[in-house]
Amino acid sequence: MKEGLFPPPVEMTLDQCIKCNICTSVCPVSAVTDLFPGPKYAAPQAGRFRQPGQPNPDASVDYCDGCRVCNLACPTGVKIAEMNARARAVMVEQGAFNLVLRLRNNLLARPELLGKAARPIAPAANYLLNLPAARLLADKVFGVAREAPLPAFSSDTFTAWFKNHARRAPALPGRKVVYFHGCSTQYYERRIGVAAVQVLEHLGFEVIVPRQNCCGLPLLSNGEFAAARRYHRSNVANLVEFARAGIPIVGTSTSCTLTLKEEAPELLDMHDEDSALVAKSTYDFNEFLLLLHAEGLLNLELASVNLRLLYHIPCQYRAHRLGHLGSELLGLIPGLEIRESEVSCCGIAGTYGYKSEKYAISMAIGAPLFEKARQFGGPLVVCDSETCRWQITHGAHLPAIHPVELLAAAYGYPPLDALAEILKGATEPTAFS
Amino acid sequence: MIIETEALVIGGGATGTGVVRDLAMRGFKAVLVEKGDLTRGTTGRYHGLLHSGGRYVVRDPQAARECIAENRILRQIMPQCIEDTGGFFVLTEHDDPDYAPQFLAGCRTVGIPVEELSIAQMLREEPLLNPRIARCFRVPDGSADSFLAAELNAVSAQEHGARILNYHKVAALLRADDRIVGALCEDLVGAETVEIRAEIVVNACGAWAGKIARLAGLEAPVIPGKGTMLALNHRIVNTVINRCKFPSDGDILVPAHTVAVIGTTDVKVADPDHFAIEPWEVELMLDEGEKLVPGFKQMRVLRAWAGVRPLYQDASVDDTRDVTRAFVLLDHEQRDQTPGMITITGGKWTTYRKMAEATVDLVCQKLRSPRSCRTHLEVLPDAPGGAPKARSVHSSLTAGHRLAEVEQDQSYGKLICECELVTEADAVRAILLGSAKTIDDLRRDLRIGMGPCQGGFCTYRVAGLLHRLQNRPVEQTNLALRDFLQERWKGLLPILWGQQLRQERLDELIYLSILNADHLPGPRSGPLTPELYSPPDIPGAPPAADALPSDCQEFKTARPPIFSTFAKPAEDQPPPLDVLVIGAGLAGLTAAWVAARRGLRVRLIAKGWGALYWQPGCIDVLGYNPNDREALISAPVQALPDLLRANPQHPYALAGLDRLERSLAAFSALCQSAGYPFSGSLEQNWLLPTALGAQRPTALAPETMIAGDLTASKPALIVGFAGFADFYPELIADNLSHQGVPARGLWLSLPEVARRRFVNALTLANLFDDPRFVESVAEELLRQISKKSDFQPERIGFPAVLGLDNPRRALEQLEISLGLPVFEIPTLPPSIPGMRLCRLLVNAIHNSGGKVYNGLQAVCAERENGKITGVWSEAAARKTLHRARSYCLASGGLLGGGFFAAHNGLVSEQVFNLPVAAPASRHGWLNREFLSGKGHPIFHSGLRVNRDLQPLSSDGQVFYENLHILGGALDGFDPIRERSLEGVGLASGFLAGELL
Repeated sequence: MKEGLFPPPVEMTLDQCIKCNICTSVCPVSAVTDLFPGPKYAAPQAGRFRQPGQPNPDASVDYCDGCRVCNLACPTGVKIAEMNARARAVMVEQGAFNLVLRLRNNLLARPELLGKAARPIAPAANYLLNLPAARLLADKVFGVAREAPLPAFSSDTFTAWFKNHARRAPALPGRKVVYFHGCSTQYYERRIGVAAVQVLEHLGFEVIVPRQNCCGLPLLSNGEFAAARRYHRSNVANLVEFARAGIPIVGTSTSCTLTLKEEAPELLDMHDEDSALVAKSTYDFNEFLLLLHAEGLLNLELASVNLRLLYHIPCQYRAHRLGHLGSELLGLIPGLEIRESEVSCCGIAGTYGYKSEKYAISMAIGAPLFEKARQFGGPLVVCDSETCRWQITHGAHLPAIHPVELLAAAYGYPPLDALAEILKGATEPTAFS
Repeated sequence: MIIETEALVIGGGATGTGVVRDLAMRGFKAVLVEKGDLTRGTTGRYHGLLHSGGRYVVRDPQAARECIAENRILRQIMPQCIEDTGGFFVLTEHDDPDYAPQFLAGCRTVGIPVEELSIAQMLREEPLLNPRIARCFRVPDGSADSFLAAELNAVSAQEHGARILNYHKVAALLRADDRIVGALCEDLVGAETVEIRAEIVVNACGAWAGKIARLAGLEAPVIPGKGTMLALNHRIVNTVINRCKFPSDGDILVPAHTVAVIGTTDVKVADPDHFAIEPWEVELMLDEGEKLVPGFKQMRVLRAWAGVRPLYQDASVDDTRDVTRAFVLLDHEQRDQTPGMITITGGKWTTYRKMAEATVDLVCQKLRSPRSCRTHLEVLPDAPGGAPKARSVHSSLTAGHRLAEVEQDQSYGKLICECELVTEADAVRAILLGSAKTIDDLRRDLRIGMGPCQGGFCTYRVAGLLHRLQNRPVEQTNLALRDFLQERWKGLLPILWGQQLRQERLDELIYLSILNADHLPGPRSGPLTPELYSPPDIPGAPPAADALPSDCQEFKTARPPIFSTFAKPAEDQPPPLDVLVIGAGLAGLTAAWVAARRGLRVRLIAKGWGALYWQPGCIDVLGYNPNDREALISAPVQALPDLLRANPQHPYALAGLDRLERSLAAFSALCQSAGYPFSGSLEQNWLLPTALGAQRPTALAPETMIAGDLTASKPALIVGFAGFADFYPELIADNLSHQGVPARGLWLSLPEVARRRFVNALTLANLFDDPRFVESVAEELLRQISKKSDFQPERIGFPAVLGLDNPRRALEQLEISLGLPVFEIPTLPPSIPGMRLCRLLVNAIHNSGGKVYNGLQAVCAERENGKITGVWSEAAARKTLHRARSYCLASGGLLGGGFFAAHNGLVSEQVFNLPVAAPASRHGWLNREFLSGKGHPIFHSGLRVNRDLQPLSSDGQVFYENLHILGGALDGFDPIRERSLEGVGLASGFLAGELL
């Protein structure tokens, strides 16, 4: 559809559907549950029956996990996952979910709020959140699945580390970059932000970490559009001056970068100039490094990392529509052998797998991946997205890391946590270490 | 047969059914005859507008008064048929501003509630309306279901003792002296003559009233006024939109169920049975629609149709719009001194009840039996077993009510018409309890086939259900299927371009490549076969548009600006890839596999998955002679040299027959090594059964299918699964038996399937990957076979769902357990055998080090000095660039989405903007018959190439030396008609892979 509007607005893309069923045949959710009738039914078909201002006729669309596997398989360009997300937002708006579910969804969808509240008492909070009795209670009362993998709060935030860290390589003129850390790096997995800053500084960039808040994706995928709009507006306000100055915004959380680039403006109809400029200036970490590489600007003096690892590309990464850049980037590290999982979705889909009514579905979706990871035999799995990593660890009982951790290690920076254990003896010293 | 009655009503539209209800409610014995199905005439072909009367307030206040009065009554008596959308009258920049005050004054005089809205409020309610609209008035218009309303009138009449006879065509009116005393009818279904004697005959034939009157030598001066309408694929508005001006063409936009209808033209025609939809009418609707909704012309049009208004006039008036829209009752006793008949005509749907009331008042007078009307007091009943939409009687209709019902019942897994959300249970009820004779009748009951795919998926399913439930001769089912496909085609012809044309090509793939419906046994037409619209008058063809390639500056400048600040331009570096393949069909995957196997760095990008997901999963090389498509080719190796001599541009001629053979051999070797062996050769086509029971010629078939070969006449048992709507064993078996292969159909009910709410081919394939399920299938089947001692099958056919991961294991397990050869029969998309092939090839590419990325839509190319230097693909927030040494375009033609055929007649290639060889004008694109043996010229469109598959300009120059074209994008053949889709994909993919 080059004719007319390009790209076409979300709901108008239902006109592209030729009913061919490809989406239904790739949907990881409808493959494991009858509660979701598949993408064709939920989006282009049901879309012809949904009308603004009329009572919302939906129920099953809430079981879409938003993975976008359908979008990528669709040969005609129907924005299926986006239509589903917007239909869910209408359900929320029209009160299809009771107050307890709304409360639960809002809590799950606000990692930042949770992080801010829990960080000062991180050890106690972690203890409490792992108490079987507490989880049972949360399950019964709030509908938060008691088995689902809750991450542990870090005792210190990423930004606290960033303020005090010492730069090891000199900054080069004209190289400035904004780092969007996201909630998981800030409150749960500080090590990923550390590795990202190390790599960027190693490449001569001055790293700027401006004021920022949650990207709002968990709210978007829970249909809480009003709150998501506030979050996105605030991020755009904080980031736009850097975008105007031509400074790229780079993130290690592939979901956050996708939200800044596309999900928030598209789902919320925020097509103002500032949102568009921030979107255009935002890069996924791997994408940014490979673009540097294409310009001949990536430092290729990498130590070998003698490991054979399984890499799982998250659905949110595929949705950037850039190809499998994680494995391409890691392919630059000598000694490192990367095999792709070639499995679609891990099942967690952000907050989906945390919900009691969806936990079993989530685990069934992830089963082929867990099986693959177990067969592959570890020692760890590489994956760009935080909730996917937690789900893989939960389902396959293997630690999971972000590609940037391997890259930082190859540039000679001491790895942390799981990678540190495994890399004992697997790297060779380089000129930089 | 002789029927005696008091009143005979001729015509089964809104008026006729309204009259017969009124008669019956007043206690008269009444019979209604209709030559087709109810509402087959004008009632079933109008836009569904419940007038407030606003349209007529200035020119025809009498008509306006009738409208508002009846509007109020109909909302009371048929809430299940009326959606309270409300209506706007909008004053656009094209309309005379002086009309607005006249309109307002008129509304007030007539008593139509009207309020003016601010433009901001109008846009809040209808955001797609033109923001340049100057004024907007709200009136109580509505959207009505005229099919359902007529049916419910008929049901109500029957409840009050009337008889309704559809498919009864009046052949003559009976006379006794000067008096009309009844009619002689032909029963088109029962093929007998029925004499109906009546004290009074009511001619309620609308635009056909003149024709009926003439049977008695009388005159009813009714002009058929043709009105053409277009339906858009979805409801772009939720309010009826009228232009605030004197009634004219294309000035009404009505939201009706799932679509929005724009209408109409108004053209005097000589004969209500024979008229054409003219191209100018379609253009006019689009132009007028654009004035109301900017972007209208780019939206997907689903269908065009025309109805004929009955316009009464005594003197000759040139413009039919000047004729009154109020109704007319003709008393032939007074007018023509011929008692026994009255004619009711003129008017409009909104006033049908009032017309019936006036008619029956006159009947009372004629029969000297004054009885008072009650049709405005009693609510219409619910449909018996028929229309699903009638379930919610007394609740107000909303666009979403059907979805809400399906969601509530969780019946989404049982849909047979997915577009309009019609369940199998709805269809079964309508078939068993209703009066439908054809699939088109079922459409009027259920809305099947009225959505985007226009019968693509549901026609097969409904034919299967009909055959199963009605147990009629299989030729009749075949005819019903073909008639419905043709009926849908009729309304598509005037509007096929863009996405609807692509849809139609997919439908063609389903009915030709998968089902072979053009070679089913039985007659090609019957007494119930719908008439075609007449061919339109085609104006001089517009000149062929200039389609030379141009640079795509827009995307070039879209390069991430941020990197321009860095030192080194990317162009200085060697491309990171050897080959970029665009498209994930068989051709693209084959090229990528062959190239990757040669050690090249290969990336394949595709917008989504390709046609493999739809194809039957065999390798068709050549099935029918392109010049004589009735001639089945049994030995491609003999037919191919002739074909290539006759068509040296055919892709096989470019690839060469030896390469075709080598590609088949390499493909077979790959499949063998992947544990999914294929069998066959160019020496002899297999004749495999389709899911309709037709014979499908194919060169290579997976081993899971070859036991079905119909060159052997061994008796076959065809097994379907209860709950799986894409496979009908009786229909297949009866067609096979008809062609000399004794066969029986059998349904298996299995608990593992029955407990699933949602059963599609993939559900079953996943089940078949589990040996325990295969075991339970075999056990249940053996139990069933042992019960049928009168039939000894020698082979057993299943739908092609015997596992996605390990079909061979399931096949072997079944064959061992059953002691008989087992075969698969491909059915509707998604095709499990096609998915197996796709996965097999993707794995082969990955194993050779290549990459396959879907979701990456190539949108533009960069070029320099006769070479392609990069291809941009669409991505989040910006485009992304792929650079390679050479490029393969395998994005298919119109089916694959590689081409876009625009409304203006221009067919364009979507990535490199190469000129497509296509008919010069849109009017030459299509044949009047869907299953025409000649095929449709538009589907021959393609890119001209040389023997290295490089694209050529019209003077034979190579456009880009490092670009190769493969598969469905190639010129000079119609792969679906001649059944060469996969063969060309393989051969050209193989050639490209070797050339790179």
